[in-house]
Order: sequence, then C-alpha cells, then structure tokens
Amino acid sequence: MDFIQEGFIQAIKLLVNRDPSTYSAISATLRSSTLAMAASLLLGIPLGYILGYFDFSFKKHISIIVNTLLSLPTVFIGLVIYALLTRNGPFGEAGLLFTIPGIAIGQTILSLPIVIALTATAVEGADRNLRITLMSLGANRKQIAASTLWEVRLGILAAAVTATGRVLTEVGISLMVGGNIKWHTRTITTAIALETSKGEFGMGIALGLVLLLIALTINVSLVGLRRRI
Amino acid sequence: MGIYHIHDLEHYYGDKQVLSIEDVSIPTASITGLIGPNGSGKSTLLKLLVFLEKPTYGAIIFKGRKVAPFSHNIRLRVTLLPQEPYLMRRSVFDNVAYGLKIRGDTKDLKNRVEEALTQVGLDSERFARRKCTALSGGEAHRVALAARLILKPEVLLLDEPTASVDAKSARLIRKASLKAKKDWGTTLVVATHDWQWLYETCDTVLHLLHGKIFKGGLGCAVYGPWRMGQNGLLHKELEDGQVLNVPKPEEGKQVAILDPSKLEVLLPEKGLSLKWNINSLNGFVTRMFLERNGKTVQVAIKIAELVITIRMERDRVEALKLFPGKEVSISYDHQKIEWL
Repeated sequence: MDFIQEGFIQAIKLLVNRDPSTYSAISATLRSSTLAMAASLLLGIPLGYILGYFDFSFKKHISIIVNTLLSLPTVFIGLVIYALLTRNGPFGEAGLLFTIPGIAIGQTILSLPIVIALTATAVEGADRNLRITLMSLGANRKQIAASTLWEVRLGILAAAVTATGRVLTEVGISLMVGGNIKWHTRTITTAIALETSKGEFGMGIALGLVLLLIALTINVSLVGLRRRI
Repeated sequence: MGIYHIHDLEHYYGDKQVLSIEDVSIPTASITGLIGPNGSGKSTLLKLLVFLEKPTYGAIIFKGRKVAPFSHNIRLRVTLLPQEPYLMRRSVFDNVAYGLKIRGDTKDLKNRVEEALTQVGLDSERFARRKCTALSGGEAHRVALAARLILKPEVLLLDEPTASVDAKSARLIRKASLKAKKDWGTTLVVATHDWQWLYETCDTVLHLLHGKIFKGGLGCAVYGPWRMGQNGLLHKELEDGQVLNVPKPEEGKQVAILDPSKLEVLLPEKGLSLKWNINSLNGFVTRMFLERNGKTVQVAIKIAELVITIRMERDRVEALKLFPGKEVSISYDHQKIEWL
C-alpha cells in the first residue's frame, strides 16, 4: 500500500518541481483536448439544436445512431483514425499520424456524439411556450436558434463538462493515433499506462492525481461560469 | 374592411378537425372576445391569427392580404400572450427589452422598459433587475404583457390572460390592454372565461364550440351514449330523466350540437308532463349578462348536465321576467340539430 502514499507525495513533487516530462504530458493533454472540445462544441451544438428542435424524416433513426455512438470504444476510434491517417491510408498525405491534431481528430469523434445528444435533449426539453414566445415577440429563425440555445445553456454546459471528462481521460485514441512519443504526443493517460506497465505504480498514481487536479480545475471554473450565467 | 378576415377556414391536427370557420371578420382597433369550453379551438385560432401556424384549408386575410406563416412583416406587428407565458432565464429588464433588441431598436431602451413596466403596474426600480424566477405568477404574467406592450403592436392576442392570476394582476392586465387599444389603436383579441371582460369590454364575442363559431350564444355539445327511439330518432336521457331527441347522424359523427340561435326560450307550460315533451327541455336560468350594446342579454340556462348560453333581446327577457333561478323551457326543432 506504500506506493499509493508514495504516489501522492510524488504527484506534489512533480508539480512543485516543474518536472519537464510531466509538464510536457500535461501540455499535450491540454492541447489535444482543447482542440477536440473546440471542434466538437462548434459542430455539436448546431447539430444538437437541429436534432432537438426540428421534426424531420429519419429523426428517430438519427437519434438512435447518435446515442449508439455514445458507446464508441476509444480503441476502435483509435484504430479507424490510425487506418485513415497512416501513410498508406486515404489521408496519409496530411501527415497527421503521431501528432496532437491527429489525436484531437479522434477525440472529436469521441466527444461529438456526447455534445450532439445532450444538446438535443436539452433543446427538446425546453418549455414548449419558449418557441411561441420567441416567435410572437418577432424573432427570426436565427434569433430563435440563438435564444433557444441560450435558454438551455445549463444543459449545454453539462454536455461540455461530460464531453471534456471523456476526452481528458481517454487512452485508446491517444495511444494509437499519438503513438505515446515522449516530449511530443505523450499525454497523461498514455504516460500512466506506460509507467504502470514498467511497474512504476507511484509515478502512475502521481500522474493520475495530476489529471484529477486538471479535471477539478476545469469543473470549478465551469461551476463559477454556471453561477455567472 | 376588418384587420382580419377569415373565410372557409379548416384546421386539422392529424385527422382531427380542430377548427371550422366559414366567415368571420375582426374590425381594426376593436376588442373581440373568444369564449368556449376547453378544447373548443380558442388557442388554436389565436395561433393562426398570430401566423404561427398555417391553416390546413382556407385563409386568414390580414389587412386585405393573404399572409404566409412566419412572414417578417407580420411577425413584427402581431403578438400573442400565451396562456402560460414563458419568461426567459434573464432579468425582468432583459425580458421586456427582448423584442426591441432583436429589432435593433434600442434607442432610449431604459425609459421604454420603465414605461412598459409602469403600464402593467410594476415599479421599474424594484423589478427591472430582478430574476424572473423571483416573480409571483401574477407578476410574471404582467412582465410578459409588458414585453408585448413595449412593441406597440397593431394586434395583441391574449390567451386566457386573467385565468391563473390574482385579482389585482387581472385588473392591471385588463387595464393595460385597454390602454394599448386607446393609445395606439391596437386590435385586441381575447380568449377568456371572464364574463365581465367579455360582455363589458368586448365589441364582439365569438362563441366557439368544437371548433365552430356560434353567433347566437354559446352552444352546447351533447355526447352519447345514444339509444334508438321512436320514429327513427335517437334518444339521449339526461341526468334528470328528460330526453333529448335527435335525428340520426351521418356516418362517423357522434356529438350533437345545440345551436343557441336555433333555440327558443319559453316559460314551462303548466300541467304538461315534461318527460314526454319531446320538443322541449326544461331547465333554469343560472346567469344573465347585459351585453355592451345594451339591447341583448346573454342568458345561461342549465338543463340537467347541459348548460346553454343564449343571446336574447332585452325586451324578450323582460317579457318572460327572467331572473337567475327562474324555471324556463327551451324548445328546439330536432331537424336543425347538427352533428360533429
């Protein structure tokens, strides 16, 4: 059990002493997840609004597909993205394999269904009188969309928090698409996997605690944001 | 020419017909009341009048023009206060100012919001910065009305504006709506059960029942079960044992409608067995209301479980010496009974 206690101490040491490899992993984690979250929010919020607000053919089928994609295994996404980005793959020319943007593409695929599904649920759950109110006050289609999304902002925030959690903690995509290259694409989760495989449990726990600390910081910020809006 | 002209309008939700209006005009700067039981089509008619929905058949002509739903021009001139108004998760100020902001009309916004809030009896100093979740039901209703009044609409449609608010709020909502009509010539259409509002304030009252307009008062829907009677007529035995005789309906129709304009109010004949008088039903007056024109009276008559409101000439009411509680007889021609 000593290694758990040791992990705590080591985590503090890594952060306080500004351990370069730890900070490199933190940086890679934050860069890939920021890129992924920006892309999934930009795409997912409008798509979630369309899915939640409008009635159209095959809406139910699309909802089922989106909900099924919530269970996508990260290693499967990693495998598909790897196949697409590998030098012989259809997008091999782009040179994105073993890069942070490559990891971010995979993480976007992971988080997009979460943002779409939860935004659609929030929009569908909005008061039915909201639409009548906005229309009868003279709002046009764009203003209705913007005002509806603003009304369900807490639901969208919840979608963002859930998706961020999933992106920050995934390991399959980072490992397969990123290649776990030290100083380059090694994220906190892939570093934990590596340290554990080497028997360095203390280091693994230390990195896990660092990841938890990042998640805590993000969530505290979002709670503050929630209060303000 | 009225501001609205509805002709040959039919509206369906799925297979169910919810409105069927042959010909109705609403004059500019008038107050029109809509009365009818729940599910009679009042709210649907208001949604069509605000052009949120397109009628399945027929048209609503607005100022002489056929208007498409969600038309930009109309959207900014006609507004609806729903029965359960929605206030956005913003401050009272932002809710009231919303309509002007989306129009890009933000000149002197603070004063205009203050004026709108004052019009509905709310002190701007106290309420403007308040969150909408910190309002009572009546205050929320008044804020929603202020959000419409600030737009100085040409048409203000009100759906049960006083149904779920306290007496003070109801009075203030009525006062503010009437002021809009007086100050800006706003046309008001009000769906309400408030008899005082309807018959003291409205220029015209449209009675809706099962999506149809009855001009001579509020009709009465009679539901089954029906049983076969004599002479090929169907019988409905009312709760007090009286029998309503009606002709057989067309295929698929199940609800008989007593059209008040086709009924006659008489005094019950003495010595006649009421149960066997197949062309009349006996009941008693429950409520009477003099209409704004001073010449006609709305008389509500209860017959067993049925209530029929009939418009009568004042002279006729005096001749029959009607008063609430008085027993009366209603004669009807069963050939004129409609089916829905």
